[in-house]
Amino acid sequence: MKIISTLWNTLKRPPVHISLGVIIIVSFIAGVIFWGGFNTAMEVTNTEKFCVSCHEMEDNVYQELQETVHWSNRSGVRAICSDCHVPHEWTAKIARKMQASKEVWGAIFGTINTPEKFEGKRLELAQHEWARFDANGSQECRNCHDYDSMDWELMSDKARRFMKPAAERDQSCLNCHKGIAHHLPEEMNKGGNPLLADLLNDATSVSANKDTPYYSAESVDLYRDAELTELVGHLTIATEVAVLETQGGSVKLEIPGWRKEKGFGRVFYEDFGQNITNAVLDKDAAQDESLVATRERKEDDLTGLPWAKVTAELWAKKGAYLKGRDALWDTASEIYHDGCSVCHSEPDPEHFDANTWPAMFSGMVGFTNMDGPTQSLVLKYLQKHSSDYVDDGQNVDDGQAAER
Amino acid sequence: MADTNSRQETGSSKLREWMAFLFVIAVVVPVLSVAVVGGYGFIVWMLQVFVLGPPGHGG
Ligand code: HEC
Ligand code: HEC
Ligand code: HEC
Ligand code: HEC
Repeated sequence: MKIISTLWNTLKRPPVHISLGVIIIVSFIAGVIFWGGFNTAMEVTNTEKFCVSCHEMEDNVYQELQETVHWSNRSGVRAICSDCHVPHEWTAKIARKMQASKEVWGAIFGTINTPEKFEGKRLELAQHEWARFDANGSQECRNCHDYDSMDWELMSDKARRFMKPAAERDQSCLNCHKGIAHHLPEEMNKGGNPLLADLLNDATSVSANKDTPYYSAESVDLYRDAELTELVGHLTIATEVAVLETQGGSVKLEIPGWRKEKGFGRVFYEDFGQNITNAVLDKDAAQDESLVATRERKEDDLTGLPWAKVTAELWAKKGAYLKGRDALWDTASEIYHDGCSVCHSEPDPEHFDANTWPAMFSGMVGFTNMDGPTQSLVLKYLQKHSSDYVDDGQNVDDGQAAER
Repeated sequence: MADTNSRQETGSSKLREWMAFLFVIAVVVPVLSVAVVGGYGFIVWMLQVFVLGPPGHGG
């Protein structure tokens, strides 16, 4: 207290011992030193070394960055943490620095100090960054990249097809380039395999009776013989079959379908005129009348193509069939929602008809990490819930409606 | 500075003046500056969290 009041008393009066000139010069120098120090501090806290001085950053995102194009590329330009994460504009930059107090807090109390905890939080952290990039139109990316300077001719076809319209709309880069620098959150990485594996697990315990319909829980190889030696084609996932006979580890399936009476008729479709694939046979098997029986013929007015309703009788392994399709559709619906809502909200399945979906889907599926089997399940789900089928009573109550 | 007439007092008041001057320049002003800038940043951050949303184009 005494010291403060003495100090105050000293400061209150005009100086007697120090000349005004000295005060001005010393103050000026101190100001310069302070300003320099302030900026140096700002710069130091913008260096990559500083960012990865916490092991939370060093062990996770820093390692991941090293696998990407922004670590090493043919142009030799490095993007460091602050290039992408710290705004250039002064106010936003200061605000971001203050925000780091939360990160310091996190570091002290170890909120993400193990890889598991980090993964657990990653989605939340990533969403903060996405929200930021969304609000500023991915400004940080554009400090280096610029739509106006992109030479479409030099881009890959795929890149041009998407980037050119994006440039016209001045779209935010992160709408499409999520995960450009680090691994995506686990929640987004589930390509559905574990889910599909669960379904298949259920299927192994289903014993096949005659006369009830079953649905394949995976893509199944089809054989001419019960010993499963002569491969003649495959059944796609979620296809209706009937079980005619069981022999050891094999079942004889009756596969209904429609096919075009043109060419070899190798592909079986689920319905007349709909490109929903049920099975694909090889040329000889497709033409073999002892395997494939024709039931009915009909012409598609739209295309003028003659179609035939057929059934094939072929052997396949046991234990890959489910009693209903609901579980398959639920899984597909979940995977569809997770994978396709990343960049835009996913269109309702009934937004397109069954024959439009394949082209729509194949144009987009590359953005997701669905693997082959998952893709075919989701596509079939979309087709079977497309505008061609919504009025069909069987699909009305399948959980899709409840989700919205 | 209570009594500037005494020689001894003059010496210690000179010291006191310099101490006060350097203390203000080296500690008080920098600390205040950092506090003001930091406070400003903090307020903007809180505004971003509760009112403005994340920083957009140019601000
Ligand atoms: C420091 C400057 C810089 C920043 C910031 C930056 N990039 Fe890059 N980016 C580069 C360079 C350099 C390359 C490599 C160019 C080359 O040689 O092919 C590159 C390459 C890319 C590629 C091409 C990937 C490939 O496989 O060819 C994409 C996509 C990309 N950046 C997106 C982004 C996004 C999205 C952001 C914002 C989160 C961003 N960049 C921020 C400099 C930057
Ligand atoms: C509409 C979605 C979309 C948006 C928005 C978008 N990109 Fe792309 N971009 C793509 C696709 C798709 C590719 C091709 C990726 C591939 O080949 O795997 C691509 C490729 C690239 C490439 C590599 C070019 C090449 O020839 O391989 C760069 C660089 C790039 N994007 C940068 C950006 C930057 C920077 C922005 C924001 C200013 C941006 N992109 C916005 C979809 C988009
Ligand atoms: C090329 C731009 C770029 C660079 C360089 C970059 N990041 Fe990121 N970072 C992103 C983007 C974009 C996201 C949003 C999540 C996503 O899309 O993966 C992100 C997300 C994060 C997250 C949230 C968790 C997560 O994985 O989503 C952390 C933490 C992070 N970055 C830290 C760093 C650190 C530390 C460095 C430097 C070693 C760094 N980043 C370098 C672009 C970048
Ligand atoms: C990486 C981001 C991204 C992901 C993931 C993504 N899309 Fe898209 N999608 C886009 C962009 C960008 C457009 C606009 C492209 C255009 O206009 O050419 C678009 C457009 C569409 C359209 C409208 C096309 C039209 O011509 O009307 C459909 C339908 C669509 N997506 C379906 C899907 C489906 C289904 C999935 C999941 C398999 C998916 N999308 C996943 C980025 C994405």
